[in-house]
Amino acid sequence: MEYVNPLTGFRIDGRRPNEMRQIKGELGVVANADGSALFEMGNTRVIVAVYGPREVQNKSQQSNNQALVRCEYSMANFSTGDRTRRQKGDRRSTEISLVIRQTMEASILTHLMPRSEIDIFVQVLQADGGTRSACINAATLALADAGIPMRDIVTSCSAGYLCSTPLLDLNYVEDSAGGPDVTVGILSKMDKVTLLQMDAKLPMDIFENVMQLAIEGCKAIANYIREVLLENTKQLESRRGG
Amino acid sequence: MVGLSEGEKHFIRGGIAQDLRSDGRKRLQFRSISVETGVIPQANGSARVRLGATDVIASIKAELGKPSILRPDKGKVSIFVDCSPTAAPMFEGRGGEELSNDLSVALQRCLLGGTSGAGAGIDLSSLIIVDGKVCWDLYIDGLVISSDGNLLDALAAAIKVALSNTGIPKVSVLGASSDEQPDVDVSDEEFLQFDTSGVPVIVTLTKVGRHYIVDATSEEESQMSSAISVSVNRRGQICGLTKRGGAGLDPSVVLDMISVANSVSQQLITVLDSEIAAAEASEE
Repeated sequence: MEYVNPLTGFRIDGRRPNEMRQIKGELGVVANADGSALFEMGNTRVIVAVYGPREVQNKSQQSNNQALVRCEYSMANFSTGDRTRRQKGDRRSTEISLVIRQTMEASILTHLMPRSEIDIFVQVLQADGGTRSACINAATLALADAGIPMRDIVTSCSAGYLCSTPLLDLNYVEDSAGGPDVTVGILSKMDKVTLLQMDAKLPMDIFENVMQLAIEGCKAIANYIREVLLENTKQLESRRGG
Repeated sequence: MVGLSEGEKHFIRGGIAQDLRSDGRKRLQFRSISVETGVIPQANGSARVRLGATDVIASIKAELGKPSILRPDKGKVSIFVDCSPTAAPMFEGRGGEELSNDLSVALQRCLLGGTSGAGAGIDLSSLIIVDGKVCWDLYIDGLVISSDGNLLDALAAAIKVALSNTGIPKVSVLGASSDEQPDVDVSDEEFLQFDTSGVPVIVTLTKVGRHYIVDATSEEESQMSSAISVSVNRRGQICGLTKRGGAGLDPSVVLDMISVANSVSQQLITVLDSEIAAAEASEE
């Protein structure tokens, strides 16, 4: 199948190879949560709610010098094209929960909140490729909305290699093509990689190009997230009458 | 949810007794409802309903299936509700399973009628394609994103709106009707709109002290002695009934609550119908 048109260079959804899907971020979507956010990357829609810092529920896991970060990832029954009844705690959900937790834990200043717990709950409403990236971006926004101190803004983006072209931000069809899928998560200002995952095979020199493309995507998302947070803070300031 | 102090509990109960609830509403007043249709593009129909801070999504997917042997002239509908952990930390893992099952069963009771399929709010015979061989299977999925009380009413309203937004593709049957599995051609273009005039809504009356309130928030629900959820359709007929809570109710009180629910439901149906019409108009 022609993932990149040889004549025009367009992908199946009309994007150029180095073009990301349309992104949208919104804060405060779940009223009861301490912090929450909705993040959309094209047709992928994810809601993240953060509860914390709060008292640790399972005292055996409590740590005396840092906060406990927990994450649960769930997909709605209607999130994929085929409606499937998902079992809670299946392997993919457990793996993605672990990935998101480790990525966010690298950024949260856990030593400032000892003996407490921060819960990150991720709910996927629509899955169209790049779900774990959308989850991480939404988690960053939700943690900021909850006022939890972080080292840096964590963003994530995926990139692939099909028809001899590095492609940024794969959607579901491109992801299922069987080509490599590189997911990168970075701390944007500090310019450090916190998440790097790849499946399928890729020659080393091309891998560097693809990873670099994904990192640029991450930086673009970080700029957008900064704008969203700035806009939100201005609104809070005006509501406070400042 | 943060615990309530004795003073707060007293305040909630006293306010209800005086027909002035904590958010200023009267006992039989609903919070403002906001409705959005088509929120899940890959589903056949979907809706999102916000009732104060309660936020639920309903999605409807139709797939081809085989009708049950006991009811060869009717399609199949199944309703599942999932409480997302985003709504409350206690829903994480399998913590929300009990509540999800509770809600699913209550919705099935109100919308799907008895075990024989008789008296269903949704007309199942409109889902049949070839008697005894091919029918539509409707999967109705509810997702609770944020919870501030009255989940059952919000879910039922979301299902009603999602059904009005649902398009079932037109099917033409190829092959002889004597075939074991006739081939069907599912059209990508034409859709049949679902008829939702018979679909009921649910109104939950929560008894706090000696009075009943409609559309309780989770604080008010924590003070309830018992609650009755009544499902009523547009013609004022009762389609289902569920009583929750351990306190006993006098039969005359039960009958009174049912008639109050009936009158409140007519207002709710009117509000929902106008919201559906507004959503459809804005789509065009």
